[in-house]
Amino acid sequence: MSLASSEQSLIPAEKQATADFEQTFKADHRRRHRNAALWRVALNVLGIVLFVIVWELTPRYSSWINEVLFPPPSQVFRTFIPMFLSGEILENIRVSLVRAASGFAVALVLGIAAGVITARVKALQYLAEPLLHGFRSIPAIALIPLCILWFGIGEVSKIALIAWGAFFPLWITTFIGVRDVNPIYLRSAACLGAGRVTTLFLVVLPAALPFILTGIRQALSISLVVLVAAEMSGASSGIAHMMSEGHQLFRVDIMFIGLVVLGTFGFIVDRLFVAVARRLFPWYQITS
Amino acid sequence: MNTASPLIAASRVSQIYAGRDGSPTWALRDVSLQIGRGEFVCLIGPSGCGKTTLLHLVAGFVTPTSGTVSFAGKPIAGPGPERVVVFQEYALFNWMTARQNVEFGLRTRGLGRKERRELALGALERVNLRHAADRYPHELSGGMRQRVAVARALVVEPEVLLMDEPFAAVDAMTRQALQEDLLRLWQEIGISVIFVTHNVDEAAFLAQRVIVMGAHPGNIRADLAIDAPHPRDRGSAEFAGLYAVVADALATHTRRAS
Repeated sequence: MSLASSEQSLIPAEKQATADFEQTFKADHRRRHRNAALWRVALNVLGIVLFVIVWELTPRYSSWINEVLFPPPSQVFRTFIPMFLSGEILENIRVSLVRAASGFAVALVLGIAAGVITARVKALQYLAEPLLHGFRSIPAIALIPLCILWFGIGEVSKIALIAWGAFFPLWITTFIGVRDVNPIYLRSAACLGAGRVTTLFLVVLPAALPFILTGIRQALSISLVVLVAAEMSGASSGIAHMMSEGHQLFRVDIMFIGLVVLGTFGFIVDRLFVAVARRLFPWYQITS
Repeated sequence: MNTASPLIAASRVSQIYAGRDGSPTWALRDVSLQIGRGEFVCLIGPSGCGKTTLLHLVAGFVTPTSGTVSFAGKPIAGPGPERVVVFQEYALFNWMTARQNVEFGLRTRGLGRKERRELALGALERVNLRHAADRYPHELSGGMRQRVAVARALVVEPEVLLMDEPFAAVDAMTRQALQEDLLRLWQEIGISVIFVTHNVDEAAFLAQRVIVMGAHPGNIRADLAIDAPHPRDRGSAEFAGLYAVVADALATHTRRAS
């Protein structure tokens, strides 16, 4: 569009030549981009393939690795197919997902609310500070035995543990984000006549969002860690429970299936988080 | 100007800040000032002279340690939409588009969504940015961002625009364009403007009245009326004269006795 003024002085033949040249340039540019993207994906896939090949060959052709303790992918896959077709794996995934999501959701609401309140009301901050920091230092896993005594090995105990673990990163990041909102934003809002509620939802929370998103990401990965720990120490279903069963039956292949599922699970959750954040907060991209 | 009923009146205002060791620093000491409706006033002075503090007192961000600042006859109790501030930079909400930023001040007025949108687009039109209504601040240049900030302030129909070195962070050519646009808007709307700057050229180009401030303690050293008509021609001999008057006042009155 900036060419408008210079185009006036060009005779038609030159104009045509320029247009052709720009067309070729654009096509070239696009091709280069596409090739770079393909090259990257190809190497990504190659990395996985190489890993699987090495994994397959090592137990088969080395004398120092026991195939029972370190089954190759082909055997893991043979075990996987019937477990998948019977619905056993999907059911375990579903159970684990519901637990992680419920615990995380509870933590999300409570953590952000606690962060906002403690950052905005000084008296509450000072009141809650020592307790929150003290409790924050206790690893959630250390509470598992107590939780089982109190709530049994049912869903409540697992959801409570996950919520507990995910609460603290959410609380601390929301607290910092809200506390450190640029005062110019608050002053702008105040002199434009905004009240407390408008300022909270349209200014304070969006301004704190980069911090809150960091907290959400940490909380998501902590949820998975606590989920596994809780399921391993007392459950009758779930991915980690399936792995403990594999352990007791001396079935390393089943344990491997669990690991692959958990890895995939964590990876998808993180990608999903990034995609959702990009989608919901287009302006956030510059700082991510 | 109508000094009988000033829009803004500061009387014997002092503002003291506690230094790091608790010792008092006089940001302002015994400042009295009256500003009339429709006046364009520049506050100029070296850093530490209290010009921004004075602006913040009028905005209602801080209350004076002693003395009173009143607006339309009533003491100022806090920030309000009749006295809107345009900051130096980074004051636009970067999670909102230009239009949403401008609409922000209209949210508390019980207007319908459509009405709000139209008012906001109208305000953006006035600063020639209607085409950028749906862009986010990070997609705008520094000059465009300040135009949006001015539109956001004007849309709530303030009686005075408080500008805190609003064009200091943009390049010289953009700054001149912004100054011309500000003068045009000021003449169209008839609003009062208090404009903080440390730039002599800016003060000589914009102001009807230049208030020269000095530091330690912060107070008013000179109050110059500049009655040359707008627009002023930077290349003219008259403008050179205005520039000299302001520069001279700044030099004589703010030189510190050592």
